[in-house]
Amino acid sequence: MNVVFAVKQYISKMIEDSGPGMKVLLMDKETTGIVSMVYTQSEILQKEVYLFERIDSQNREIMKHLKAICFLRPTKENVDYMIQELRRPKYSIYFIYFSNVISKSDVKSLAEADEQEVVAEVQEFYGDYIAVNPHLFSLNILGCCQGRNWDPAQLSRTTQGLTALLLSLKKCPMIRYQLSSEAAKRLAECVKQVITKEYELFEFRRTEVPPLLLILDRCDDAITPLLNQWTYQAMVHELLGINNNRIDLSRVPGISKDLREVVLSAENDEFYANNMYLNFAEIGSNIKNLMEDFQKKKPKEQQKLESIADMKNVKRLLQNPKVTEFDAARLVMLYALHYERHSSNSLPGLMMDLRNKGVSEKYRKLVSAVVEYGGKRVRGSDLFSPKDAVAITKQFLKGLKGVENVYTQHQPFLHETLDHLIKGKLKESLYPYLGPSTLRDRPQDIIVFVIGGATYEEALTVYNLNRTTPGVRIVLGGTTVHNTKSFLEEVLASGLHSRSKESSQATSRSASRR
Amino acid sequence: MASLDDPGEVREGFLCPLCLKDLQSFYQLHSHYEEEHSGEDRDVKGQIKSLVQKAKKAKDKLLKREGDDRAESGTQGYESFSYGGVDPYMWEPQELGAVRSHLSEFKKHRAARIDHYVVEVNKLIIRLEKLTAFDRTNTESAKIRAIEKSVVPWVNDQDVPFCPDCGNKFSIRNRRHHCRLCGSIMCKKCMELISLPLANKLTSASKESLSTHTSPSQSPNSVHGSRRGSISSMSSVSSVLDEKDDDRIRCCTHCKDTLLKREQQIDEKEHTPDIVKLYEKLRLCMEKVDQKAPEYIKMAASLNAGETTYSLEHASDLRVEVQKVYELIDALSKKILTLGLNQDPPPHPSNLRLQRMIRYSATLFVQEKLLGLMSLPTKEQFEELKKKRKEEMERKRAMERQAALESQRRLEERHSGLASQAANGEVASLRRGPAPLRKAEGWLPLSGGQGQSEDSDPLLQQIHNITSFIKQAKAAGRKDEVRTLQENLRQLQDEYDQQQTEKAIELSRRQAEEEDLQREQLQMLRERELEREREQFRVASLHTRTRSLDFREIGPFQLEPSREPRTHLAYALDLGSSSIQSSIAPKTPTPSSAQEPIRVWSGPSALGQELLTQSSMSQQNEGPSLNPFDEEDLSSPMEEGTASPPAAGASFGPSAHISKEYNPFEEEDDKEEAMAGNPFIHPDSPAPNPFNEEAEHPQQRHSSPLVPGNPFEEPTCTNPFEMDSDSGPEAEEPIEEELLLQQIDNIKAYIFDAKQCGRLDEVEVLTENLRELKHTLAKQKGGTD
Repeated sequence: MNVVFAVKQYISKMIEDSGPGMKVLLMDKETTGIVSMVYTQSEILQKEVYLFERIDSQNREIMKHLKAICFLRPTKENVDYMIQELRRPKYSIYFIYFSNVISKSDVKSLAEADEQEVVAEVQEFYGDYIAVNPHLFSLNILGCCQGRNWDPAQLSRTTQGLTALLLSLKKCPMIRYQLSSEAAKRLAECVKQVITKEYELFEFRRTEVPPLLLILDRCDDAITPLLNQWTYQAMVHELLGINNNRIDLSRVPGISKDLREVVLSAENDEFYANNMYLNFAEIGSNIKNLMEDFQKKKPKEQQKLESIADMKNVKRLLQNPKVTEFDAARLVMLYALHYERHSSNSLPGLMMDLRNKGVSEKYRKLVSAVVEYGGKRVRGSDLFSPKDAVAITKQFLKGLKGVENVYTQHQPFLHETLDHLIKGKLKESLYPYLGPSTLRDRPQDIIVFVIGGATYEEALTVYNLNRTTPGVRIVLGGTTVHNTKSFLEEVLASGLHSRSKESSQATSRSASRR
Repeated sequence: MASLDDPGEVREGFLCPLCLKDLQSFYQLHSHYEEEHSGEDRDVKGQIKSLVQKAKKAKDKLLKREGDDRAESGTQGYESFSYGGVDPYMWEPQELGAVRSHLSEFKKHRAARIDHYVVEVNKLIIRLEKLTAFDRTNTESAKIRAIEKSVVPWVNDQDVPFCPDCGNKFSIRNRRHHCRLCGSIMCKKCMELISLPLANKLTSASKESLSTHTSPSQSPNSVHGSRRGSISSMSSVSSVLDEKDDDRIRCCTHCKDTLLKREQQIDEKEHTPDIVKLYEKLRLCMEKVDQKAPEYIKMAASLNAGETTYSLEHASDLRVEVQKVYELIDALSKKILTLGLNQDPPPHPSNLRLQRMIRYSATLFVQEKLLGLMSLPTKEQFEELKKKRKEEMERKRAMERQAALESQRRLEERHSGLASQAANGEVASLRRGPAPLRKAEGWLPLSGGQGQSEDSDPLLQQIHNITSFIKQAKAAGRKDEVRTLQENLRQLQDEYDQQQTEKAIELSRRQAEEEDLQREQLQMLRERELEREREQFRVASLHTRTRSLDFREIGPFQLEPSREPRTHLAYALDLGSSSIQSSIAPKTPTPSSAQEPIRVWSGPSALGQELLTQSSMSQQNEGPSLNPFDEEDLSSPMEEGTASPPAAGASFGPSAHISKEYNPFEEEDDKEEAMAGNPFIHPDSPAPNPFNEEAEHPQQRHSSPLVPGNPFEEPTCTNPFEMDSDSGPEAEEPIEEELLLQQIDNIKAYIFDAKQCGRLDEVEVLTENLRELKHTLAKQKGGTD
C-alpha cells in the first residue's frame, strides 16, 4: 500500500531491465514530475541513468551510445512524438513504458515506425500519479470540475490516475462514493468501467476482505482547506507552497541562490521525516532558527483561530488593521460556512465590513462562491446540520478551548468519515456501494480519494489513523493537495462564483430573515 | 527456539535497522535480516551511504521511541508506537505493481513492416552492386546506359508529365532523369547522386559486415568527385546535356534516403566513440571495487578486532590495490569530463552534460565506497589489539563458565526441591517413559536439545532444559510441577530477552563506531576532492555542479555542512566509548584511530567542542550519575549561553548514553550481581535494562532543563559496581576550564544534597570525584601558564 514505493518499484524495474550501459531517461512533462517524486538525481545516477530528456524537446542530439528508457503517459501527442523518434532514432535502443493503458492501434503505429528495430520493450507500468507520501498521492489537477460536474478531460485523467493507482498497488476494490456528489458517482462509475473492461489486469490474489475505494467530494468539507494547518508539512505548504515536494523560494527577497528551490523529501531529509507530522507548536522550538518567518505569522493566526467562535470577535478582528485582506475574507468564509443556516446569521453585515475594510471584489465574491461550493445545500453529511447544533457548538468550542494545544483544535471531517468506515458504521444511505455487493467485514485496505483535492491536514489524519488502528491501511489521494490559496483557486475554477452571486445573496437574505 | 516466541507477547525494540520493520523478537529480526538483507552487501547499487543513513535513522528512531514511550504518550507525538497501527513509513515493502507487455504484439506488427523494409534495402543494394560492378570510366556512356537500363526497367517518359517530387512540368529545358536504382523519374533539381566510394561501402558492408573497412574517410555526402571529361560521348544527343556518370550514380531522393540510413547503421556498428571506451573501463573498475572492497572490509574489521584470521600484510596490500582502483576511477572519469573540450566545434551540450554526469556519479561512487574502507591498525596497534582480545576472550569465558555453573546449581536446587515434593512411586512409574530420568531427582534435559545448544548461551541451554522438563512433567501429568517449571521458564526467558536486547544494542553501537571510521575517511576524501575540484576549475572552469531537468540535486559538497554536526557528535560518541575502553584496560593505549582526528578537525567547533568535553566529562563524573543528561541539565546555563540547538543535544544525549550503557563493566557487573543473587529473579532496580532508564530522559528534557530535583534520584539507583569501575585514568583530552569549574560547582551541589539526605557513601564518592576534578584543573592551569 505504499504509493511511493509502488512508483519507485516501477522506475527501478525499468532501469534494471535495460541492462548495463549509459542510459537516458526520456519523459514527458507529467512523468518527469512522477519520477522526480520518488527518485533523487544521485540515486538514479547510480543506476547509470545520466541524462534526462523531454520527449518534446526538439534539440536533442543523436547519441547512439546511449540506451533510451522512455516513460510516457499514453497521450496522443506522446505517441506521435515517439513515432517521430523511432523513424529517426537518436539512441541505440529503446525501452518504452507507458504509464497507463495504451490502445492496440497506438501500439501498431509505433511498431510500424520502428523500421530500424530499435525498440526492445513496450510495456504498461502504471505509475500514473504523483506519490507524495507513502500514504498520500495527488494528480496535480487544479480545477477538476465545471460547476458541479466534471470537466470531461479531467474526469478521464482522474479515472486513469485512480485506476493506475489500483493497478500499481494490485488492488481490485469495492467502490463506495459520496451520494450527495454527482462527480463522485461519475468517477466511481468510470473506475468501475475500466475495471470491468480490463478485468484481466485486475485479477489479483484475492484477499480475505476485499480492498475498498471510497470516493469523496471536497464540497463535503470546505472548512478544512480554509483553516490553517498546523503541522510542519502543512505549514510549509500553506505559507510557501509545495509542488511535487519542491518549495519555490525564489520570491523571497534576498534568498541565496542555493535555496531558490528547496526539496522537501522525507526520504532524504531526516528533519522533515521526523517532523512532518509533528504539530507546528511542538516543533516550533526545533526550527526556531530555520523558520523564523513562520513564527512571525503565528500570533495573528492564533488570534484569528481563537476568536472565530463568536460573532463579536469576528467583527472585531475584521476591523483589526493587521489582518490581511486574504485572511479577513477567509474568516468570513469560515463564518459563513458554519453559520450558514443559523438564525442569528449576520453574514450580510460581515460582508459589509469586508467592503468597508477595502477587501477587493474578488475576495468578496469568493465568500459566496465558497458557500455555494461547500455550503449546507451540497453537503451530504449531517455533521453541521441544525438539529445537532449543540454538538457542533460543543465540538467547535472544544476545538478552541478544550484542547490544550490551540493549534490542534480542528479535526477534519474526513477523520469521522474514516472512523465510521473502519468501524463499519458508515451509513450506506450517504455513502452507497457501487453495484450490488457490499462489504461484510470491516475494511482493511482503504483508498480514499477526494475530488477537488485533499489537504495535508487530512494526510495527517490518515497518517494517525494508520498508526493507531491495527490491521487497517489507508491511502489518501486527491485531484491535488490544497492549501487555502489553491483551494480558493479551485473554487474559482469551478466557475460557481459567477452565477452564484445573486443566489447567495438570496440565501443570506433568507437566512437573516429567519 | 520457537518456545521463546510466545505469540501473544510483544517484545519491543527489535526493529530491523535496514527496513525499520518491527520484528517481534531477536530471532525473527535475525532471520529477517538474513533473508532480506544478506544480499545487500554485494549489491552493486547498495550504497553504503544510504545504508548508513538508514541505520542511523533506525537507531534514532529506536532511541527516540524509548523516550516517547516514557514521556507519557498523551500527545500525538510522531514517535509513539504504542497504538497498534503501523506507521505508513514502515509498511511492508511494496511488491511490483501490475504490468502489461505489448512487446509480442509490437513485434508482430513490426515484423510485417520490417520484412518489407529489408527487402527494399536489399534490392537497392543488389542493384547498386550491379551498377558498380563494371569499370565505368572506361565504358562508353551509351553502354553504361544500356547496362543501367538492364538493372532496373525505366519508367516510360510519357507516363510522367510532371516531376513527382516538386511538381514541375517536364519540357526540353526541364528534362526527365531516371533513378538508376528504382527506375522512377524526377527532374534535375530533385535528382540525387551516389558517389562510387559510398556505393562501395554499402555493397561491401553487405557482403561482409565484419570485414575491416578501410575507406570510410571520404564523406559520403560529398558527391562532387573529380570530374573528368567525357568528350568521346559527344555523339550521343542526350549526353550533350547529360554529363557522363563515370564516378557516380543517379538516383531519386527516396532511394538515396534509404541508402543513407543504411550507411548510418554501418557506421554505428563499426564506430565506438571514445566516451564509450572510457566508460567501459570505468565500469570495469567500479565492478572491481565492488568485488574487492567487501573482502577488504571483512579483513580490516577482523584485524581491528584483534583477530588473527587474516594477515596484516595481505590486508594492506589489498588496501593499496583498492585504492589504486579508486585513483583509476577518478582519472578515467576526469578524462571523460574533459573529452572533446578542445575540439573546434565544441560537443553538443547534451554530450557535455552526459560527461559531467558521469564524472559526478563517479565522484559519488568513490565517496560512498571509499568511506567504507576502514583503516588498518599499525603493527604495534595490532599486537595490542590481539592481546586485548585474548584477555577479553578469557574473561568472557570465565564469566560464562561461572554463569553456567551458577545457574546450574540453582536449577539443581530447585529440582531437588521439586523432586522431594514428588511422591516416589510416581517417579518410578515415569522411568518407563520415553525420556530417561536421572536418579529420580528430577527431569532430564532431552538429549537432542542439549546437543544442539551445546555451545550457545548458557541461558539458552537452561531454557531448553526446562522446556524438556516441562514436557516430561506434562507427560507425567504433574500439574503443580509444570506450573513451577513454567514459572521458571518464564523468568529464564525474561533474563534471556534482557541479554539479547543488550546484545542488539551493542550491535548498534558498533555500527555507530564503524560510521565514525567511515566518516573520517569521507572527510579525507572530501578534502582531496575539493583540491581536485579547484584544480579543475583552473583547467577548464567547466565543472560546475550539474543541474538537469527538475531532478532534485544533492550536490557532493552540499552534504557537508549538514553533516558536520553529526560528525562532531559521532566523534564525541567515539571518544566516549574509547575512553571507556581505556578505563577497562588502563595500561593499553586506546587503539581507536578516531581519537586523533578530533583535534585535527577544524570545523565550526563551538558545538562540537562542547559536546566533546561534555562527553568526556560525563565519563569523569561517572560515579555520581549514570545519566549523561544530568550533566547537561546541570550545565545548562552554559549550554544556553551558546545556544546549541536542542535537536543536536537530543541526538547527542541518547547516543552518548548508549555508548556508556555498553560499558562492558557495567554489563558484566550487572550480570555478576544477577548471578550472585537468584539468576532467575531479576534484580529490580539497578536497571540493566537500558530501555527503562532511557525512558526518563526525555521527560527530564521536556521539563525545564534547569530543574535540579531529579539528578539526585539517580545516585540512589546507581549500581555500586559502576562506581568502582571508573575513577581510573580519565580521558586525556584537555577540558575547558570553564567546564571544569562548572563541573566542580555541580559536584559541590551534589555533595551538599547528599549530605542533607544523609547518604554518606555517596558523599564519599563525590568528594573523591571533586578532588580529582580540582586536581585536573590545577594541572591544566599549570600547563597553560
